[in-house]
Amino acid sequence: MPKKYDTPLLNELEKGPWPSFVTEIKKAAAWNKMAADELGQLEKSYRTRLVYWKHGGIVGVRGYGGGIIGRYSELPDEFPEVAHFHTVRINQPTGWFYSTDALRMTCDIWDKYGSGLTNMHGSTGDMVLLGTRTESLEPIFAEFSSRGWDLGGSGSAMRTPSACIGQARCEWANIDSLDICNEMTQEFQDEMHRPAFPYKFKIKVSGCACDCVAAIARADCSIIGTWKGDIKIDQDAVKWYAKNGTDIQNWIVDMCPTKCMSYDGKELKIDNKNCNRCMHCISKMTKALKAGDEKGATICIGSKAPIVVGSLLSWVIVPFIKVEPPYDNLRALIRKMIEWWDEYAKPRERIGELIESKGMRSFLEYIGVPPVPQQIKEPRKDPFWFFHGDDIENIKKLEAEEKKTGKYKF
Amino acid sequence: MEVEEIKKKIFEVLEKAKGKKKLKEKDVCRIVSEETGVDKEEVKRILRSIIDEGKLCYSYSGGASSVEIPSEEYLKEKGML
Amino acid sequence: MALPERRTDIGPPSYKQFLPPVIKKNYGSWKYHEILSGGVMVHVAESGDKVYTVRVASPRLLATETIREICGIADKFCDGFVRFTSRNNVEFMTPDESKIEPLKKELKDKGYTIGGIGHRVSNIVHTQGWVHCHGAATDASGIVKAIMDELYEYFTTKELPNKVRIALACCVNMCGAVHCSDIAIVAVHTKVPQPNDDLLKNLCEIPTTIGSCPTFAISPNPAKKSVKINAEKCMYCGNCFTVCPALPIKDPDADGIAIVVGGKVGSLRSSPKFSKLVIPFMSNEPPRWPKIVAAVKLILETYAKDAKKYERVGEWIERIGWEKFFELTGITFTYQHIDDFTFMRDTMRTASTFKYTS
Repeated sequence: MPKKYDTPLLNELEKGPWPSFVTEIKKAAAWNKMAADELGQLEKSYRTRLVYWKHGGIVGVRGYGGGIIGRYSELPDEFPEVAHFHTVRINQPTGWFYSTDALRMTCDIWDKYGSGLTNMHGSTGDMVLLGTRTESLEPIFAEFSSRGWDLGGSGSAMRTPSACIGQARCEWANIDSLDICNEMTQEFQDEMHRPAFPYKFKIKVSGCACDCVAAIARADCSIIGTWKGDIKIDQDAVKWYAKNGTDIQNWIVDMCPTKCMSYDGKELKIDNKNCNRCMHCISKMTKALKAGDEKGATICIGSKAPIVVGSLLSWVIVPFIKVEPPYDNLRALIRKMIEWWDEYAKPRERIGELIESKGMRSFLEYIGVPPVPQQIKEPRKDPFWFFHGDDIENIKKLEAEEKKTGKYKF
Repeated sequence: MEVEEIKKKIFEVLEKAKGKKKLKEKDVCRIVSEETGVDKEEVKRILRSIIDEGKLCYSYSGGASSVEIPSEEYLKEKGML
Repeated sequence: MALPERRTDIGPPSYKQFLPPVIKKNYGSWKYHEILSGGVMVHVAESGDKVYTVRVASPRLLATETIREICGIADKFCDGFVRFTSRNNVEFMTPDESKIEPLKKELKDKGYTIGGIGHRVSNIVHTQGWVHCHGAATDASGIVKAIMDELYEYFTTKELPNKVRIALACCVNMCGAVHCSDIAIVAVHTKVPQPNDDLLKNLCEIPTTIGSCPTFAISPNPAKKSVKINAEKCMYCGNCFTVCPALPIKDPDADGIAIVVGGKVGSLRSSPKFSKLVIPFMSNEPPRWPKIVAAVKLILETYAKDAKKYERVGEWIERIGWEKFFELTGITFTYQHIDDFTFMRDTMRTASTFKYTS
């Protein structure tokens, strides 16, 4: 029988209407010894305001370096059932869709070998199974992998890619975010399981600028769906919105960041060449406005959380790229980016940090992407810059040409 | 060079670095390749085969991944000894 | 019993086998959607097919028993399919409108909270905290529970000017990447790590440890084969502890909570933004962290009252100005609010066109 702990502090978190994680731990603790000791140790943390977990470095399954996070209790004598309490990251099905059969299968395996506690899901997207012993790792992996499931990423490796719901149930999705994510997950299996990168590398795919998986803020490689071409307007539907309480002037036209819209009370007009495709109008008047026909993605690079020298949002690198099966262009581009990073990065240096320290030019040249104004908010302000190789020579050649033609080219 | 010799070299390199510097997979391949003249990709293939057998492991400590010789205690816990 | 044969590098099972039939049929040809209530929406396809979604909250940390219960409900109403969202909600989908009311009734009877759709507070994205992390400066799930109990109606029914995304990270590593949220709670250490010299010499690489410090506060201590930390330069980020476990940083009284606001990830109207500091420190007060809950509610309700329709928290603050934000909320402005790390030159005001505050 699992040990029963007195948990006066945690019991306070069973009060109130929001679903309680304490109730969840107690459900498992009723039959599972590990969950019971997890509850006991957590109550102690609540009492002392200190955490009692240790990181366990080498823990994993044979051949892999990713997918298992070693965790040991600092208090194994007091809470022996959580002396080992390792995490198993199971790569989620893209988009977090499940059949109930698949979910029950997961529960069966986890009840047999683990604590009966999960996170649905971890921050990166994996299904997280919380707490098992070292000797159970190989059996857990055999049970899952034989049924068609694999571990997610951890450590200095490709991390489990994730995607928004995309075209499965969203009219705004410009690209098939689920398929792209799934294909990239399959493409980088080796890099996910065998941590050989300088540090972590995350890929996230969002179908539009709403960015429901926070790709722009949370992925080294952010793939965000967009389009070229005019927004399609259904004027009858515009009238429907106006009649049904939408204040088109104030809520739509005046909030357009580029002021490329106008409305005379009857007809909505868009100056498409000045539209920056932010999604505000489309998301508020979906029945009336549809994105242009030529779909693709913007590839942004570099975002990360604050450690070490401050957080970064991803930078626009490739303003527009077609992303259609079999995505060979995307696979090659990502591989090229990783190759550059792997070549030059120090240990624990993210790709965004390396671009800062080594220079955007080195990165762009390596991946074969030209400099374009879409990549920046504004050009540099101070008069210090590098000239490389034959930069000056090329300018001189151009000037010589100008002398011949009598026409300046800036 | 025989595969067994390269394997021995890999263990030597890791043994020497133990407690001093955590070596990434790439570091092991580079060092062994430099010292033996065997191509890095070939070293990597052999290193991976040792890792697949479980005689070497990837480790994640100090915020970065490295390759390590597992302790006997760990191998016992895993049921591999 | 013999174990089944393990396989490697197969990746996850294809998502295609887990799509409900109506989703599969109308994949890529959805026309529009409407939000019917705080937790129910309908998506309409070009074909005329509809799919209704009922969204419920979860504490993210789920016992298998609860997952089985969710499966039971999905079997009964949703042809055996269910989905989780990027913010740890659960979505039940069905093309059959007549199932919505019975589904909602069953969910309510079993204690589930329906909501999180539209201009509301969705579920809080958060990290592991004391439940399972080695470096946590606070618990995560407990604060989330306490906040969401207080903001419950903003999840279920009450509408806001726009959606409000709240996130929580139990240390500055920000596994939950809370740095671009409307309101984010981040636990901070405030004490300089104390090198455990005996442990350090065996456990840590000295150059790597020195190199881990963003403010160059760490130097070698050759006499002890260890390191020294210059207290005046240390900003308690804990990166050295990640690299070297012999530099403990946790402390029950010195660890606490900061609040940062005004971030977003979507590009609607304005570019994605980082969250910015508004409260630098509040003490850890388990089990229900009342002061933190009150602070989040204060910020949320000030926004709800003052923002224009469709403005996110960050857009509202940019329109009124940060000086007005501090005035409206009554939050004290301190030295900590002025960036003296990397971004001072970008964040100081360089014009005399500020607004006066009382």
